[in-house]
Amino acid sequence: MEIAASRMTDQAFPIMNADILAEEHARLHARPVDRKTVGSPFVKNPRMTCRNVDVFYGEKQAINKVSIDVGQNQVLAMIGPSGCGKSTFLRCLNRMNDTVSSCRVEGKVCLDGIDIYGPAIDVVPLRARVGMVFQKPNPFPKSIYDNVAYGPRIHGLTRDKNELDEIVQTSLVKAGLWEEVKDRLREPGTGLSGGQQQRLCIARAIAVSPEVILMDEPCSALDPIATARVEELIAELRAQYAIVIVTHAMQQASRVSQRTAYFHLGDLIEVGPTEKIFTNPGHKLTEDYITGRFG
Amino acid sequence: MNSPEPVNTMTTRPSLLEPGKNLKKRYRTDLWFQRIGITAIFLSLAFIALLFFQIISEGYTAFIQTNILLEVEFSEQAFAKENLATADYPGLIKKSLTDTFPEVKSRNGKKLLFSLVSSGAAYKLQEMVEANPKIIGTRQKMWVAAASDVDMLMKNKIDRKAPEENRRLMDNQLAWLDILKSQGRLEKQFNQTFFTTGDSREPELAGILGGVKGTALTLFITLTLAFPIGVAAAIYLEEFAPQNHWTDLIEVNINNLAAVPSIIFGLLGLAIFINFFGLPRSTPIVGGLVLALMALPTIIIAGRASLKSVPPSIREAALGIGASKMQTITHHVLPLAMPGMLTGAIIGMAHALGETAPLLMIGMVAFIVDIPGAITDPAAVLPVQIYLWADSPERGFTEKTSAAIIILLAFLMTMNSLAIYLRKKFEIKW
Repeated sequence: MEIAASRMTDQAFPIMNADILAEEHARLHARPVDRKTVGSPFVKNPRMTCRNVDVFYGEKQAINKVSIDVGQNQVLAMIGPSGCGKSTFLRCLNRMNDTVSSCRVEGKVCLDGIDIYGPAIDVVPLRARVGMVFQKPNPFPKSIYDNVAYGPRIHGLTRDKNELDEIVQTSLVKAGLWEEVKDRLREPGTGLSGGQQQRLCIARAIAVSPEVILMDEPCSALDPIATARVEELIAELRAQYAIVIVTHAMQQASRVSQRTAYFHLGDLIEVGPTEKIFTNPGHKLTEDYITGRFG
Repeated sequence: MNSPEPVNTMTTRPSLLEPGKNLKKRYRTDLWFQRIGITAIFLSLAFIALLFFQIISEGYTAFIQTNILLEVEFSEQAFAKENLATADYPGLIKKSLTDTFPEVKSRNGKKLLFSLVSSGAAYKLQEMVEANPKIIGTRQKMWVAAASDVDMLMKNKIDRKAPEENRRLMDNQLAWLDILKSQGRLEKQFNQTFFTTGDSREPELAGILGGVKGTALTLFITLTLAFPIGVAAAIYLEEFAPQNHWTDLIEVNINNLAAVPSIIFGLLGLAIFINFFGLPRSTPIVGGLVLALMALPTIIIAGRASLKSVPPSIREAALGIGASKMQTITHHVLPLAMPGMLTGAIIGMAHALGETAPLLMIGMVAFIVDIPGAITDPAAVLPVQIYLWADSPERGFTEKTSAAIIILLAFLMTMNSLAIYLRKKFEIKW
């Protein structure tokens, strides 16, 4: 019986002895010594610039000296294994981390040259200019119309009902949802399907005319067809906005983004044009991750 | 993994067709648990049914009252004086009774005869004359309340066959009552007095309106104070307060306050509101303040729990498009938390409604006849009214006690159904 069992493992897995496994594990889970980010983190005419950004949760450092630019009219994808800090970093860009009391951000994050962590900065207009779409579709338990109209209403963007109607319509058209919901704008947004809900959240974000849209794994709760629809939408939105997307699916990053950044344990390992990262990565860890050796 | 004997696995594997002893035992445990649960529910329902049956069967008779039809002559000479209030109304009643039974001559006999009619009948005459002075000089037929003993007899709560010395009504009184009854002048009618008057020493004149109004005023104060303060405290503690030792200390203390015996709150009210601030005693305002203090911890705890249960994704969504913290709370978090907060408030109010002990300390146990018109008038509340009546020796107050309990329960049910209606209205479907 013993022989049979070992023969089975022979067929299923390559022989790996424990020492090699431990070594491999240590290599992948240690902070790389060479801290210099491989590739080109900076672009011409950036919309947002991040310089030496550190993020701490209490004593624990979650992000370590990250410098990267977000370019206009392009999609920056952030990939990396779970817990590598990509979502944390994304939330620094519109100060959503402020809600976590133990969180501390150091370094400089600028939107159009203005430090958003500066003392005179108010987060309310900042979040209107840097919109966010979350992992799980989170429409308000209100009507479809009110979901989209909420942002313009609180920011006082419209003078009368007609303007508001127009903003709601254009936002829903941009989010590719108008045709599906135009006859039931008064029905609750929570009654839509998951993919529709996520597009409603995108419409809600673009209704306040942001300049940058942050997306935190926007398709992880959606089925493949809804995912394809949202990806199409991202490609369309790129014409008007700067987009930063965090994703677990490497294929998605390669499909929707122009630039890709690879994070590993709080470090930004490599940034570059998406096709380069996926075809000819410059760092061993990036290569290991995109070839599926871990993740 | 190492050499599992095939025979071995076959014997330990449970058969689908013949489940083993072990499985049967597991099912038996399930069944026992279900049976115990059903028994518990059945027992509690049975006790509730018994309670309701007891109270209603004891109390429904308080809603009817024995009345006597009298023919009263409002003679001119009785109202010779200018002031209508000084006229001898009891005399009119007595005259009417002696006219009905002219054979009663002795002083003792007359006294027994006059005691058949409630002392409140004279007030009724006075009200009639003051409302319409034109009836002076006429004869009027009118129903007046019978004395409580007559009422008890008519409701079969006095045994006619008991020896005379053990009976509240004498033999000749019974005879007069039988005559009245045969003439159709003694009848059980709907007891309007019970719903329109305050407390009284006479059971047939005692009413519940004073207690109901006192309770309504007290709970109004409690609700208007405790709900906004409780909700505000819950929002601050849950959404704004920093997480440190001070907020931990506050939280522990709020939880402890919810478990403090209610009479302590009464002492506090006596010391602070009455002795220090000099508010009038026995009033709904002090009662309401004390009960608000008592209801606050319940409302705060329930409010915090319902705020906690609002999914964080809603807060993120609102903050993410640039809502301020207060907008996030008032537009999104609070509407979702409102049903839970209302539930907490209604539990707190239901407690406050049934509370007697703290109100005893602030003097709401006083005998108050007047119906309170404002929050600074002395008033009784329903539970205290029940306590007072239950304490009274007169036979007639037994049914009043149960009737007051019925009214209290009705009050509670009205409050609860209002809360359920509001909760349904505020509830947002996901």
